[in-house]
Amino acid sequence: MSTKSIQIRNQNFIMHYSGALYWNEKSSLLISDVHLGKISHFRKFGAAVPQAAIHKNFQTMDTAIDFFKPKTLIFMGDLFHSSLNNEWDIFEDWVRLIAAEIILISGNHDIISPLKYEALGIKVISELILDTFLLTHHPEERDELFNFSGHIHPAIRLSGVGRQTVRLPCFYKTKSQIILPAFGEFTGSHTMHPIEECEIFALLGDAVLPVPIKEVKQKRYFRNS
Amino acid sequence: MTREELYRIAETWFQQQNWKPFKFQKETWKAFLQGKHGLLNAPTGSGKTYALWFPIVLNYIKKNPDYKTKHKKGLKAVWITPLRALSEEIRQSAERVTIDLDTQMTVGIRTGDTSAKARLAMKKQMPDLLITTPESLQLLLASKGYDKIFKDCTAIVVDEWHELLGTKRGVQMELAISRLKSISKQLRIWGISATIGNLDQARNVLLGPQTKALENSVMIKANVKKKITVKSIIPKKMETFPWRGHLGLRLLEDVIPIIKNSKTTLLFTNTRSQCEIWFQKILEKHPELAGEIAMHHGSINKETRSWVEQAIRNESLKAVVCTSSLDLGVDFAPVETVVQIGGPKGVARFLQRAGRSGHRPGKESVIYFMPTHAIELIEASALQKAVKQNTVEDRIPYLNSWDVLLQYMTTLAISDGFYPDEIYKEVSQTFCYQTLTKDQWQWLLNFLVMGSQSLQSYDEYKKLTIEEDGKFKVNDRGVAMRHRFQIGTIVGDTNLTVRYQKGGYIGSIEEFFISKLNRGDVFTFAGRNLEFIRIKGMQVHVRNSTKKTNRISSWMGSRLTLSAQMSELLRVELYSSYNDKKDQSKEIRSLAHIFERQRRESIVPKPNEFLIETFKTREGYHHIFYPFEGRFVHEAMGSLLGYRISLLSPITFSLAFNDYGFELLSDKPINMQQVIDNDLFTTDYLLDDLQKSLNATEMARRKFRDIAIISGMVFTGYPNKAIKMKHLQSNSQLLFEVFRDYEPENLLFQQAFTETFQHQLEEGRLRLSMLRIATQEIVWKQCQKATPFSFPLITDRLSREKLSSEKWEDRIKRMAALLMKK
Repeated sequence: MSTKSIQIRNQNFIMHYSGALYWNEKSSLLISDVHLGKISHFRKFGAAVPQAAIHKNFQTMDTAIDFFKPKTLIFMGDLFHSSLNNEWDIFEDWVRLIAAEIILISGNHDIISPLKYEALGIKVISELILDTFLLTHHPEERDELFNFSGHIHPAIRLSGVGRQTVRLPCFYKTKSQIILPAFGEFTGSHTMHPIEECEIFALLGDAVLPVPIKEVKQKRYFRNS
Repeated sequence: MTREELYRIAETWFQQQNWKPFKFQKETWKAFLQGKHGLLNAPTGSGKTYALWFPIVLNYIKKNPDYKTKHKKGLKAVWITPLRALSEEIRQSAERVTIDLDTQMTVGIRTGDTSAKARLAMKKQMPDLLITTPESLQLLLASKGYDKIFKDCTAIVVDEWHELLGTKRGVQMELAISRLKSISKQLRIWGISATIGNLDQARNVLLGPQTKALENSVMIKANVKKKITVKSIIPKKMETFPWRGHLGLRLLEDVIPIIKNSKTTLLFTNTRSQCEIWFQKILEKHPELAGEIAMHHGSINKETRSWVEQAIRNESLKAVVCTSSLDLGVDFAPVETVVQIGGPKGVARFLQRAGRSGHRPGKESVIYFMPTHAIELIEASALQKAVKQNTVEDRIPYLNSWDVLLQYMTTLAISDGFYPDEIYKEVSQTFCYQTLTKDQWQWLLNFLVMGSQSLQSYDEYKKLTIEEDGKFKVNDRGVAMRHRFQIGTIVGDTNLTVRYQKGGYIGSIEEFFISKLNRGDVFTFAGRNLEFIRIKGMQVHVRNSTKKTNRISSWMGSRLTLSAQMSELLRVELYSSYNDKKDQSKEIRSLAHIFERQRRESIVPKPNEFLIETFKTREGYHHIFYPFEGRFVHEAMGSLLGYRISLLSPITFSLAFNDYGFELLSDKPINMQQVIDNDLFTTDYLLDDLQKSLNATEMARRKFRDIAIISGMVFTGYPNKAIKMKHLQSNSQLLFEVFRDYEPENLLFQQAFTETFQHQLEEGRLRLSMLRIATQEIVWKQCQKATPFSFPLITDRLSREKLSSEKWEDRIKRMAALLMKK
């Protein structure tokens, strides 16, 4: 169960446990919120986050790309966390080894000049419309388009008998949109509350798991402190 | 001037006030003037302030015989207080002496509340006597040329040392003193402490073990006997008194006559939210008290707090609902009565609070204990005994707090820079770092300079640099600025300031509370109903509202635990339920019907019995254990036992604990006979199993929070100022995971675990209680339904830990995301 397939408007998509989403008909791999350079950014400002974690992002991207071998790689924004730092050099080396065409849909964290990306052959755009699908960084509702986005870093809290709870990053799908989980290490997440008619697919290390949703009465929230 | 002449000055002053110096005051004067260091054990309200201000001033007079005409400027003494609220009171006492003796000496306060302008003025000219907090002292060490400021300093007095001792602020003090010892040649180091179990150790920690300072020191005990009367408020209708709860509003009407019959009453609550709620409810039920009661807690703005403190002194208030913010120091003579709402969890704290009334030498202190639920009456009874027997707890000092040391090293690096060999010598003489090895020291230096233990390519880590002569220095202004802000931040949840849209600061509140609010929601804070408008930067904008609300601001704050001494007394009280009625305290007698009910469903354990109860409810299978050892030990024992049980077969638990016992809740039953047969309470492999169980729970993760903030790994921002920390916000949770996955050998990561053992779980106490349990007979009761003893536990929906030995997939198959339906 390392992947999970779904159909949206007669197109086939495959969700990968890394958080990437593959669009079969277009041979495109969608990856959102990698936040490259975040660890280096912290280190540059005096917070000694372990360096070893830097390479994890590249390894995971390689895993997903090797699995699907896409023709196009689409970053859904927040590819880099902040301004230029040495992780850019690693990124440059990495890009040279990627056969696929690369597109970046710019996110709020993408403050590095588009010229730097274009020099590597990466197209930087603010959004992309393919057939009736709209790809943006921020979730959006527009006309009859089906929206793919990131930005939120969705996660879901699951509960069971015996007051058990667990929180997992997830794909969050409604009738008109899918929000991708954050792909990067050291990025954090935001807990979503399910709404009616939404579907949730949780990432579980090396699996993607559809989550059953149970309706409950709102508990009286009370905190003693 | 001879010492005799100096004493005469002091004694004359005392005569003018119609006072007579106490023996301990004279002893302190003498020791100080002889150049000794020491620890003064004296309770608040005993005249301890004059025991130390006098010799400081006399020493100045001695060295400057023409003191009345010529003023020798510069810092002479530093007075450390753990609470800003106390500084004003201390200044008044000090000024009374300096002015009456015509010394021309100046007294200044420097705390987080001091304006930037005043701080700047101080930088140009320090007052002779400086009153400050541990954090502000660190900030002084972070300013350029600090060695000149302290060059002629003759004394550092650490007031309320017992409050600092078991905290990281205490470690900050140890480090600051280790530095001052080198730069202030004339320095005398003094601590003032209320009575605690480990006074000798307190002196050790203050002065440094095996140091010259310790050799040349004295311990002076005030031995001021104070009569304390404890009165429990026992509900008239015991049958309907709840089995659980923590607010205690049920007995509100019983408190009102106490307030009305006394000049001024302090009502101590255990948390800030409880304080807000009580204030609100008293006014709601007794509007006639409006204007005569006030509220005081640490998150209310300074002006309001000072106003309340002043009003207590002026006798213009009938009652103040407060938290530990009024625990210490300040002399409130008009306070006649103190009410403690809910268990104070420790004898020392209870005594301290009791001491707030009749706050004059020789006067009687009266404290009422008001239980918030039935079982707490056992605690009330135990407290009575404790007060009679004069039982007090130890405060356990920290060891090897790497986070505080890293913070301190950075502090020195941003002011004048430091040479590692010199600082190593100083630091390794402190109590906290007495076992510091050269390797560990090198690890810390590497961490600061390279951000790791070896240089790696692509790395841009920047914090400290080594200059050519080997000095460690911060040259980056951004690093320095962020560090200065970080020192002042009290470790806690992210704090936001609450202000009116048009300006006007109301106080500070934690992010977790505000994040639950939507625009237009009304909540109660600082006794007002406020409408939430928006969050902007680090500020919460609000406007006054007339709407009613039941949202009351709350704070996470750590919960208190029963001390070892209290737990023991508590068990004794519990066992007394088998005694003859006439040998029981009236609290225990009043609980008769609950004991009866407990016996009907289960048993009330005897001294040789260890009770386990199991039953099933809609929520799952409850397994409840009653060691009566305080919540910290229960937390440890619960994780340990849960872990051991999980080895027998895959299972997932949710753990709850209180001061009486702990609960393992699961979606399937535990085979309890197997638990008993396998001797799961053994102390064999205790540490090893505990470590493994910790990995399975979240405890160390939470400890890491403070460590990450103190060591400067997480930037919290600063409540009052919107400092741009663009792209630098993260949280310690994320950081914890990165360390766990990539650098588990990191000393800071390791520290989270050792701290959990030593301070959270009290490993030593755990071992002792497991040994005690080993001598008891285990009584397993399979009950039909919840028992009175279990009730507070099973209804505790907060502070639950998780522990699991099951595969993720298996667990998650049984779980679901919850769609909330209003």
